[in-house]
Amino acid sequence: MFRQLAVFEMKLQMRNFLAIFFALVFPPVMLLIFGGIYGNEPQALTGGLGTVDLMIPAYICMIVAVTGLMSLPLTIASYREQKILKRFMATPTQPLQILLAQLMVNLLTTVMGIALLLVVAKPMFQLRYSGSIPETGLAFLLVVLSMFSLGLMIAGVAKNGQAATALAYIIYFPMLFLSGATMPLYIMPDSLVAVSKVLPLTYGVELLSGVWLGGRLLSYRLELAVLAGVALVCTALAVRFFKWE
Amino acid sequence: MSAISVSALTKDYGPLRAVDSVSFTVAQGSVFGILGPNGAGKTTTMECMMGLRQRTSGEISVLGLDPEEQRHRLYSRIGVQLQETVYQSSAKVYELCQLFASMYDAPLEYMPLLERFRLEGKARSSVGRLSGGQRQKLAIVLALLGDPELLFFDELTTGLDPGARREIWEYVKELKREGRTVVMTTHYMEEAAILCDEICLINAGRIVAQGTVDEVIDQAQIDLVISFETDQDVRTLLEALTQVTRAEQHGSSVTLYTKSEQTLTELVLALKDQGVRYKKIRVTYPELEDAFLKLVGTKAKGVG
Repeated sequence: MFRQLAVFEMKLQMRNFLAIFFALVFPPVMLLIFGGIYGNEPQALTGGLGTVDLMIPAYICMIVAVTGLMSLPLTIASYREQKILKRFMATPTQPLQILLAQLMVNLLTTVMGIALLLVVAKPMFQLRYSGSIPETGLAFLLVVLSMFSLGLMIAGVAKNGQAATALAYIIYFPMLFLSGATMPLYIMPDSLVAVSKVLPLTYGVELLSGVWLGGRLLSYRLELAVLAGVALVCTALAVRFFKWE
Repeated sequence: MSAISVSALTKDYGPLRAVDSVSFTVAQGSVFGILGPNGAGKTTTMECMMGLRQRTSGEISVLGLDPEEQRHRLYSRIGVQLQETVYQSSAKVYELCQLFASMYDAPLEYMPLLERFRLEGKARSSVGRLSGGQRQKLAIVLALLGDPELLFFDELTTGLDPGARREIWEYVKELKREGRTVVMTTHYMEEAAILCDEICLINAGRIVAQGTVDEVIDQAQIDLVISFETDQDVRTLLEALTQVTRAEQHGSSVTLYTKSEQTLTELVLALKDQGVRYKKIRVTYPELEDAFLKLVGTKAKGVG
């Protein structure tokens, strides 16, 4: 049953323009454009790393933001509004499975987006990766947990599809532009850097970039604490406010 | 044997009492209709039976199960179509069928079902490209995939054109012939009269009448109307008739309102006695719609 449901949800995800474009197509295109402009030559400013090297972990965070903050909550909110969740309740399955399937599908979309980004970037630029794979994996997982739980919270507290869309955009767009996910924070004025400090994704970009480029996971205590805190609080709020209809 | 028994069902939404002490039974293998104006509590009553809503008080037994306590056992034996469910428009018909089939231990095959509902040509179409009638037929197919003993249809034909509605009626009759019990809500009195063995009429959360369609019409105590045309003045003749509540003659057209069909015999005999020539004699029996309007009260009238 769950396998059928997951396959079904994945097929629908692949027909969803928003998810496909912003998670799969947009990041490699951005990388090609900005990588084409700046190249990936080592820069003194960034400690011997190229611009593209810095873009990759940041863009991974951008992909997680799209799947976690847009695709996940908007799909769940529309399933609630269209009474699909309610219809599922009147079957022998656990309706919770549909939420699990959505989490899985969006995680898979994220992984596909990252794979596509790397496949495009690899032959075009000389990439430097100096992190540890398990630590990078853990950092990635924490970014996913925090963003997905934020998405579940949006789906939980929003009364209807319109409210979910409004809320998702309000949370997503500032994070997209001001967290370092699309544009590095070092080019921003102090006022915007101050704003970035209240956006959870900023800590995700900081952590993943750091670990990606060779930093030790445990040296990012603040980032780890913020992301874990966001994940816990948002999951609790999502569970508290979630309604099946 | 009854498939469903509901006794003193009450459901409050905060201070609002949506369903107030409703009781009825649904015989196995019958089609049972829940009728009433918008907001009367039809859907709430139905959703309490399906276990999708918690009742405030009262007892419900559906196929011998408590729909709240034993929901999951119940869900493998019932099929539902919900009024507001809009399936994912990008999903293909066969994909939804496969998905719903996978939820049941012993599902029916979906292709023969699609053929039966003349949707086989639409198996690979997206739900978004189906017509209203096709979507409702798909909703029935999805409700049938678990081979249920009992089906719940909530406003299955609302918004469909008359042709599609009649097509759906045939399918509902067929489901009954297969021995399945059907509980349905509807706004269309004609639909209830054609399909339902028994109905209950709900207004403001309370049952105002229940029984067979004929019994409900009887309960409304609406006069028969006898009308005919004559060139003569028959007013004195009319006054002599018994059980007539009202009689009028305007020019050549005469109208009588009466409690009893006996009036017709009396009338014809009196007309014959006095040698009155008449034509176009007609008896109009009250229909479910008349009973509905009378029992539900003036608020629902409007259309006249």
